[in-house]
Amino acid sequence: MTTPDENSSPGYATARAFCITSACWMVIGAFVGLLGATELIAPDIAKNIGWLVFGRIRPIHINVVLFGFVTPGLLAAAFYYFPRLLRCELFSEKLGVFTVWVWNLTLVAAVISLAGGHTQGREYAELIWPIDVMVVAAFGLVFFNMVMTVRRRTEPLLYVSIWYGLAATILTAAVYALGNVIWRPDSGALAGMADAVILWFYGHSIFNLLLTPLAAGIAYYVIPRVVLSPLYSHRLAMLGFWSLMLVAPQIGTSHLLQVPLPTWLKVIAIADSIAMAIPVMAFLINIWYTAKGRLGEIHADIGAKFVFTGTIMYFFASLQGAVMALPQVQRVTHFNNWVVGHAHIGVLGFAGMIALGGMYYILPRITGKQLYSRLLADFQYWMVLIGVVGFTVVLTIAGMTQGNAWLNGHAVYRVLPMVHVYYIVRAALGLMLFTSAIVGLYNILRTLLSNPGGTP
Amino acid sequence: MKMTPRAVVIGSLLILAAVVFVVIYIPYVTRTQTASAIFRRRTPTEAAGRKLYIANGCVYCHSQSVRSIDWGLGAERIAQAGDYVGDQPILLGSQRTGPDLSQEGGAHPNDWHRAHFVNPRTTRPNSIMPAFEFIGPENIKHLTAYVQSLGMKNAGRRMQRQKHWKAKAVEAYEAGPDANAHWLAENIPFGWRKIANPYPSTVAGLARGHKIYQDFCLGCHGPVGDGMGPGQPDLYPPPLNFTILKNRGISGGILYYQIMNGITGTAMPYFKRELESEKIWDVSNYVAVYFINQSDANHAPRGIDTAYEP
Ligand code: HEC
Ligand code: HEC
Ligand code: HEM
Ligand code: HEM
Repeated sequence: MTTPDENSSPGYATARAFCITSACWMVIGAFVGLLGATELIAPDIAKNIGWLVFGRIRPIHINVVLFGFVTPGLLAAAFYYFPRLLRCELFSEKLGVFTVWVWNLTLVAAVISLAGGHTQGREYAELIWPIDVMVVAAFGLVFFNMVMTVRRRTEPLLYVSIWYGLAATILTAAVYALGNVIWRPDSGALAGMADAVILWFYGHSIFNLLLTPLAAGIAYYVIPRVVLSPLYSHRLAMLGFWSLMLVAPQIGTSHLLQVPLPTWLKVIAIADSIAMAIPVMAFLINIWYTAKGRLGEIHADIGAKFVFTGTIMYFFASLQGAVMALPQVQRVTHFNNWVVGHAHIGVLGFAGMIALGGMYYILPRITGKQLYSRLLADFQYWMVLIGVVGFTVVLTIAGMTQGNAWLNGHAVYRVLPMVHVYYIVRAALGLMLFTSAIVGLYNILRTLLSNPGGTP
Repeated sequence: MKMTPRAVVIGSLLILAAVVFVVIYIPYVTRTQTASAIFRRRTPTEAAGRKLYIANGCVYCHSQSVRSIDWGLGAERIAQAGDYVGDQPILLGSQRTGPDLSQEGGAHPNDWHRAHFVNPRTTRPNSIMPAFEFIGPENIKHLTAYVQSLGMKNAGRRMQRQKHWKAKAVEAYEAGPDANAHWLAENIPFGWRKIANPYPSTVAGLARGHKIYQDFCLGCHGPVGDGMGPGQPDLYPPPLNFTILKNRGISGGILYYQIMNGITGTAMPYFKRELESEKIWDVSNYVAVYFINQSDANHAPRGIDTAYEP
């Protein structure tokens, strides 16, 4: 548990605000996902309500879960570990809280504009230009706060988590502007195949240069502290960091293996998808060896439990990703629910789990009190775990059914009844996830706002 | 190596710049800018429809790129880079919850699309596509114009055929049941017209036909085959009332041929990609027995010998 010195904590207003942001948007995001899933079973359930039509719900879902739930959750922990690791106060909590307001305003604007059909129609880059600018500004503000904190540090050595935090925010600001073709406000797009290339370069960079480094930063922070043991290897951490920076931005074209693009570009994407084994395994071996033989401690801390589970999910998401990037496999997996399964194991199972873990780890430490309820947090853990594993199983089966049926010459319409039952199970699991998000919100709000609990 | 803040930030940005140069910039400057043979620019109405396509998220369920491994709609035309030179943004899509649309133009006449957009369950009973009635009739026209332009010059040729036959179908329909039944039959190759349904009428076969009818035909031809399904108000000529076919020279072969190939110019779609041979015989016998009340199943001359008979 925490040392006395850690209890005399400053306010951590930014971290608190990001926690609340994340927990609220998780409820909204999961609800919207559930609504979308329901519409795929009962398509007339919101009949003729324009802003609830599946084609608008779906981008709201991904934008809210990515930029509302997962990213703020990960940033909450970053705003906690930056001052601690650098042994100084955050450059400006005021600026931090302001950033959170900008962030939430951006999200509200995103939801309203998407619901109204104002979209640039590019997956993960739907937001219209003014909101794009707000997103870049928000990342810029976060980066500025981080860098300025680094400058006033009293600790000369930069720990791994700091590298990841800095790189994630600055690279995302750059990649976001690039991927959204921000210099063309009206369309936000290039013409022709070049548009697809830049879009998916950006798309997978959101997962690999934003979510992955932020989540890795948290794992590198939380796991050694909870198991009370130094990091297994700093050299390996360095290898993991630099290889991620190099390999990750190159795999975007693996989304485009089946469309007319130059072969060399596809070869790069495939080769680098396999080369992702280097950063992934460097990170995982480092974390797992640090925790080796001390799983009891991890089990005892709910935050660490989430984080550690997230690292396991990362293993599976990456394994799956590398396999999906093989052209022979992609013939079956492309265009169907297999990919949706991969998306949930990656974004929810890995990044989302670690975001929740980061929040549950820092909450007692920034409030100086125990979590409002460990039981509810455990409940959420199991619901999310069952939910995401269930999603993966069900969606993988559905995806293989679709993919193989198509390869066999069946028309899409004929295959709809074959996947209907999996859609139902997916929605049921989504209901669990939605419930767990409400429980999590309640727990986090009680912990922060009206916590009767004793000191930890 | 010492991990200073400068090393981390500048180093990672430099690597990113290098990667962007290789995987974005080089493909960009060497990209295909020559249009493919089927390319043409969109009209203003089609462009307006494309905006609606984007605004309503059609791209999340429909791809617009046919792969070499595809068998579905449009598989005769594999996507080429030159097809997309006018697309900004490009709408390749990442999910096929619904079929690929890159060669959709001319696969159906406009009235089919109107009925389908108002509620897809009318023309396609098992569809999970949302209803788009809320965008209003004017916008449905624009959206239809866009969808009919997909496939570009190829779509144009198909649309011309639809227009040509639409005029004839309307004329025949308006001339009354006799003329219509006659017109419908006269476009079928002579040999087909003489073929009887080779399979016997069995309880199991009729049950299969019933199921197929519900999944594929009910929304237009209606539960009792009178052509008054929920799609009827939007379709012209309206779905056939099967009862008019009685004593008008109908045969198993005619039904089979029409269901397999559809009737160009009318909403009647082709089912050759969705129903295998026996399924077509089963559903046509179901129609013959229950709605036309006149079936030639298993009568002479039987066109095909069937190996399995109960
Ligand atoms: C929830 C996913 C979904 C969305 C969103 C969606 N569709 Fe569909 N679409 C389907 C499915 C499933 C089918 C196959 C069944 C059918 O024909 O209705 C289909 C079929 C179609 C067809 C008929 C293809 C054929 O010839 O058989 C067209 C045309 C079409 N959609 C256009 C659109 C347009 C335009 C939009 C946006 C306004 C759209 N769809 C939005 C799922 C979707
Ligand atoms: C989208 C609506 C629609 C659907 C779905 C549909 N039909 Fe039709 N069908 C029509 C229309 C319209 C006509 C032609 C009416 C005319 O020209 O008068 C037609 C004509 C026919 C004919 C022609 C009869 C003849 O004498 O040539 C047959 C047979 C037929 N349909 C059977 C079916 C069957 C079986 C199914 C299901 C597998 C089906 N239809 C699905 C709309 C539809
Ligand atoms: C590290 C190794 C990884 C590789 C090689 C990889 C590869 C891929 C490939 C090839 C696809 C496209 C599949 C297709 O369309 O056919 C894909 C999709 C996707 N991946 Fe990964 N992936 C990896 C890790 C991750 C991680 C860690 C996350 C989440 C943080 C993630 C999130 C996603 C998402 C959300 C999609 C869906 C994109 C869409 O909307 O179509 N991936 N991945
Ligand atoms: C709260 C955490 C969640 C995260 C991080 C998340 C993430 C994502 C992502 C990244 C996608 C894009 C997938 C792709 O393009 O391949 C997606 C799609 C989707 N998600 Fe979620 N999701 C979450 C929760 C849920 C829940 C609770 C449900 C309810 C069942 C749900 C249902 C869906 C549906 C229906 C889609 C659309 C898939 C399609 O287009 O067919 N999600 N989600």
